[in-house]
Amino acid sequence: MVDVSQGDDGLGPGRGAAVLEVGPLTGRPGIRARGEISEITRSPWEEALAGLARQHADVSYVELSEVAFVDVAGVAALAVTALGLSGGRVVVEHPPPQVPRVLSLFWPGLGRIEVAPR
Amino acid sequence: MNTVATHEAFEHPALFYRTEQEYVDRTVSFVQEGLDLGEPVAVAVPGPNLELIRAGLGADARAVRLLDMTVAGRNPGRIIPGVLRAFADSHQRGRVRIIGEPIWAGRSAVEYPACAQHEALINAAFEGRPVTILCPYDEARLDEEVLADARITHPTVMTRDKESVSEDYDWRSVVARYNEELVPAPDAAVFSFGADELYAARAFAVEEARRLGLAGQRLADTELAVAELTTNSVVHGAGRGTLALWARAGQVVCEVRDAGRLSDPLAGRRPPARGQIGGRGLMLVHYVADLVRLHTSDEGTTVRFYVGS
Repeated sequence: MVDVSQGDDGLGPGRGAAVLEVGPLTGRPGIRARGEISEITRSPWEEALAGLARQHADVSYVELSEVAFVDVAGVAALAVTALGLSGGRVVVEHPPPQVPRVLSLFWPGLGRIEVAPR
Repeated sequence: MNTVATHEAFEHPALFYRTEQEYVDRTVSFVQEGLDLGEPVAVAVPGPNLELIRAGLGADARAVRLLDMTVAGRNPGRIIPGVLRAFADSHQRGRVRIIGEPIWAGRSAVEYPACAQHEALINAAFEGRPVTILCPYDEARLDEEVLADARITHPTVMTRDKESVSEDYDWRSVVARYNEELVPAPDAAVFSFGADELYAARAFAVEEARRLGLAGQRLADTELAVAELTTNSVVHGAGRGTLALWARAGQVVCEVRDAGRLSDPLAGRRPPARGQIGGRGLMLVHYVADLVRLHTSDEGTTVRFYVGS
């Protein structure tokens, strides 16, 4: 995992500051993330998604079980990445509730993303 | 002054009605005229009125998109993107016909300024588009001030058997008049934030909203909305702002103040392109809140949203 934490006050992810660790999955295509996806951590999240898109073949996975919060632009980056793929789909595993909520509001019926709930 | 000519493609008549029979006659004939012309038609009016139109249309109702405006348009700020643009944008060829009744007897004094601004902003949102939006007003039950505003926000007015150009039409004046200063609540819990406190501001909002009675989806939506508004303050509002929460009349009220100025009157109501990443923050707030009130001036911007438990 690449630690791209910013302003970490030593309390760890999800407590005192916006922190995001993101890296490749092992054994299958895609990425996993830990922390939160918001304005402060926007850049590494979008870079990771760009990397996912470059390596995408048929199915890519985005593992978010250790992500506490994703803001609207974070979900938008995920949706726009999926929309830009030439085919196949993105499986978003165990995301926080903001992901299905924002997808349902702005991208209802987006077949390119499959959400596996927590 | 004939202001209709400057909006030659967009038509936005107000329909002043007095009786149930008059309401049914005028709205049903408006819908059937659209169906006869092959136009896509949507009706978004309060539930009881929706049933009147549905019954009046009979089998033709199946060809019409029917929405209860007290649900879809409870927050008037989401009607343009979530109801009107959503329908019009899904029918890009030819004219689209909609009945939208966002103002009914029973809208509160807190809601009304946002309702009037919404009616005014429809003119900006659809300028130059081949769309007809008919807005019924219950002349028997609405205040004269509301009807006077309707003459300012609609280029034409239909009464009884005639349609006439409104000499009062001047939608920008209504947007400006209801850009009312929002006075802070004395009992609010307040949190000042900058870029380093965005997480803490969100956590503060969740804790306070929970204490004030929110739970489940409403609490989750409040967290998301606060995240968007506080981020907007940091990015667009001079880098910092003030968050406040309090309870009023069974609702939790959340407010974010900053030193920025909102220059686009359609901010939060203009749907971004499907492939655009930014530009959905304020729209998210409109979608999840029961009401959004906004004040902007050279001194700063306040966005206040209301969520029922």
